[in-house]
Amino acid sequence: MSLIDRIRPHRRDRTGRSREDYYTASQGQLVWQRFRANRTARAALYVLVFFVLCGIFAPFLSPHDPTAAGRNADYTNGAPQIPQFCDATGCSLRPFIHGVERHRGADTNFRWVTRATDERNYVTFLPRGYEYRLLGVIPMDRHLFGVETGFIHIFGTDAQGKDIFSRTMHAIGVSLAVGSAGVLISFGLALVIGGVAGYFGGWIDTVLQALMDTVKTVPTIPLFMAVAAFIPDTWTAEQRFFFISLVLGLLGWGTLARRIRTHVLAERTADYVLAARMSGAGPGHVIRRHLLPSFTSYIIVDLVISFPYMVLAETSLSFIGLGLKDPVNSLGVMLQNVTRVDVLLNYHWYFIPVPIFVAIVLAFVFVGDGLRDAADPYAEKR
Amino acid sequence: MAAFARFLALRFAAAMATMLLVSLIVFSLMELVPGNCAERYIAYKATQGFVVTDADIRAEEVRMGLDRPYLVRWIDWITGVFFRFELGESCLWRVDVGQLIGDKLLISLALAGGALVLTYLVSVPVGIASAALRGGWLDGGLRILSYLGLALPNFLLALAIMLASTIWFGDTLTGLFSEEFRNAPWSWARFADFLSNAWLPILILGWSAMAIQIQTVRALMSDEQGKLYVTAARARGLSGWRLLMRYPARHALGPVVNSVGFDLNRIFNDLPIVAAVLILTEAGALLLEALARSNDQQLAGAIILSMTLAIVALNFVTDVILAVIDPRIRKGFFA
Repeated sequence: MSLIDRIRPHRRDRTGRSREDYYTASQGQLVWQRFRANRTARAALYVLVFFVLCGIFAPFLSPHDPTAAGRNADYTNGAPQIPQFCDATGCSLRPFIHGVERHRGADTNFRWVTRATDERNYVTFLPRGYEYRLLGVIPMDRHLFGVETGFIHIFGTDAQGKDIFSRTMHAIGVSLAVGSAGVLISFGLALVIGGVAGYFGGWIDTVLQALMDTVKTVPTIPLFMAVAAFIPDTWTAEQRFFFISLVLGLLGWGTLARRIRTHVLAERTADYVLAARMSGAGPGHVIRRHLLPSFTSYIIVDLVISFPYMVLAETSLSFIGLGLKDPVNSLGVMLQNVTRVDVLLNYHWYFIPVPIFVAIVLAFVFVGDGLRDAADPYAEKR
Repeated sequence: MAAFARFLALRFAAAMATMLLVSLIVFSLMELVPGNCAERYIAYKATQGFVVTDADIRAEEVRMGLDRPYLVRWIDWITGVFFRFELGESCLWRVDVGQLIGDKLLISLALAGGALVLTYLVSVPVGIASAALRGGWLDGGLRILSYLGLALPNFLLALAIMLASTIWFGDTLTGLFSEEFRNAPWSWARFADFLSNAWLPILILGWSAMAIQIQTVRALMSDEQGKLYVTAARARGLSGWRLLMRYPARHALGPVVNSVGFDLNRIFNDLPIVAAVLILTEAGALLLEALARSNDQQLAGAIILSMTLAIVALNFVTDVILAVIDPRIRKGFFA
């Protein structure tokens, strides 16, 4: 038995493949195999893909326009309407909800109340609804589900009568987009700063390291707040969106830059780098073509791990009213008013988006952990 | 002894350098935001019915020294902070920032400090126990809890607790003082009232730091437990808590001491938002107000600088403590 066989005897036995497959596999294949063996991480990946698809196809999935344009003025602060098959008058094969009406009379002390009627409102699939552009290009007006007449609110409505389910779907998309933009910006900065610090070393490294440490020392959320507070009120929702992503990216690169610096520092004295330099390659070429590919997998892992922090930072900022604002939906925007006592006491469906977001963040954390364990295919499994 | 003094001096200089850099970053950010202090003050006066001209703004800028170059003003600000302990004058209220935030900053620091103490009181023993009982149901439960600590940010936890408490007890658990003590001067009764209300914010502030720290202690202890010196100690007949505390724990807790500063950072991060949820007008909410509502850059800069100062000071102290309690380093100093 050779030494290598003794180090990794199980893999070959369990999968039953020939050992050539294992030794000739690309790094991507090795990472994927190890990742697949981790059941938690695999389940988390499915959850994550599901939510990403939810975010991308949000307009198709949501029955109503999530902005004020799609509000149901007759059903404000309305409870969730769960489609049912049976009611007092019997059962049907098609799911339905009950209609609602606005009512005022002596029995309600002459105040307007919303109450359910006995009339059945059947759920339909692929009905025509408000117009939107799928993936931002394809004009469509079909939605996954709806009802024959009027509105269906499976997560209830908010104070203005906006559909919470539609808002949640759109919020998932927005949060993922803000996170992606923030991660990309901080990734670019981290790559340049960390790469330069690690490659050149010496006083450049010292200065840049001091900078990284400093950026890590300052509490970020108060700093976010300080910067975000000065966004003029006149900015449009899109401008705000890009500015918030930019701020998240500009302040979040410290940890990633340090990791990249450490990698570069460890690799730059390797023989293949020396060979490249002897052949006349410049620093930029060596960093880009030789050093960075040597730890791409680690970079991807770090990006996945830092993603939920971006999403949470955006949520916090929007929650206190400094991030995104109303026509754009994000979890933070949706939670802005929930600390009011009447909401806490009466309108619990405002909190339905919370478990969904906890699930998304958890999925990211588990996928990130799984990738981190898988990214080093030659390491022993711990 | 001389070596120790040199270490102290070097470490102190490094902390000072960090503070200088932080102050430069904060100052630049405050500089970059649209509009300066004079314009803001004059705009405020305009809303109060005064007639304001461009010449007034220029005159106000000269009076506040805003016409001087950027670096000169930074040096002026930073020497004021370091040598005269003056944080500058608030843009809008025209009073010393220190006077404005003093009491509230102390309460914020007390809350953050309480959360920090709670974090370590819980996470160190629990982390050690979790590592010792690796693979058991307790360990599994704690791991799920610490993942939740990542995924359930503090303000969502606060919301969840408020929701549960309004449903079951009819009380939202907000605020830091009861009605009768809100504006009273400090006394023992007020302090006791503060404590009876502060446990919830302290618990919530410590929540994610606690969850992450349990994970860290567990990982460090697991690494140390497999080492040969632990086996050797076991072979000599030590076992149980005695073994854990005498050998692996002393090794594993070094990096934990080092991370206190970052935990304070994490707690400060959550402070303004938790304060907003729990309506703690006395603490981080001032920051929120300074930043969000009044656009007072002088005040905002001062608050961020004091928060960072607390973190840097804590980092300095923990580094020194670590050097003193770690016999390998101590021998080098006091041989």
